[in-house]
Amino acid sequence: MLATADVVASRQSRDPAQGVGLEPMTELPEPDAATQAEQDASVDVKEETEAERAARFEREAMPLLDQMYSAALRTARNPTDAEDLVQETYAKAFAAFHQYRPGTNLKAWMYRILTNTYINTYRKKQRQPKESDSSDVEDYQLARAEQHTSKGLRSAEVEALDHLPDSDVTRALASIGEDFRMAVYLADVEGFAYKEIAEIMDTPIGTVMSRLHRGRRQLRDLLTDYAVDRGFVSDEAVRS
Amino acid sequence: MTTPDRHPVPTSAGAADCAAVVLRLFEYVDNEAGPEDRELIEAHLDQCGSCLREYERDMLLKSLVRRACHKEQAPSALRMQVVSRITSITVTRDSDS
Repeated sequence: MLATADVVASRQSRDPAQGVGLEPMTELPEPDAATQAEQDASVDVKEETEAERAARFEREAMPLLDQMYSAALRTARNPTDAEDLVQETYAKAFAAFHQYRPGTNLKAWMYRILTNTYINTYRKKQRQPKESDSSDVEDYQLARAEQHTSKGLRSAEVEALDHLPDSDVTRALASIGEDFRMAVYLADVEGFAYKEIAEIMDTPIGTVMSRLHRGRRQLRDLLTDYAVDRGFVSDEAVRS
Repeated sequence: MTTPDRHPVPTSAGAADCAAVVLRLFEYVDNEAGPEDRELIEAHLDQCGSCLREYERDMLLKSLVRRACHKEQAPSALRMQVVSRITSITVTRDSDS
């Protein structure tokens, strides 16, 4: 909990680099695993046998399983659909693995398949009305400018948000539009660059920015409501 | 990188105004602002309390989301199913050829 407050409180720590979720290399692979990874990154796809490709897929894609499952949970919003989504994503990824260019970003490639699969399968199934998604920059620019002149939350409210349980944050994420939710997840949890998110979501970079902006705005409003509901902050303090 | 969606932060007499900064803040927080924008934004945050609070809220929200969506372990049954599907597909294909 305090870790987040620290980031906020410390003016000195204003380093944008810590805002992106670039993963530190926590564990170095075994020497022979490293050699293997090097070979996997430069393999000639046309020369390898089916069995070799399957083994390479297992070596490269299976370590991403927890991450893909976590993303699927946030995307599909329930464990059963998440498992189906992961299964399907891996099956499709394996079937198309000869198209994956070795040495490029496999995680982004897998995410693209997951996103596509979700949109094609589950969005149809759920029959959700699609949120209007104008990539209209002026639209959110206006909102942003207005918001600045209105009275926003004060530091005490920032503090209150920081004390919300994780379940409130995931609940808020689950209630915003799926395009917004995915964009926010990809940027904040996975730390993908806008350009990568644009490729994963197959959309122009301006749309990614619009989704991020609007998604975060909605999240912030929801979390403020939750903080009020929990009595962390008074309604008057927020609205006045 | 220049795309049509990314205009530079507008300035008047070399200093960025609040509306322009607030607009660009999330790019800054995402480490996506170009070097010039970054300098302008940082200079502005150093002297504008309300934009600084806006920045703090953006940073907080980002870290809240990251904190809440920690990595979950995939169920072991799922892991086995995924692997066995790959293996069975390979076996079928190999025996076909």
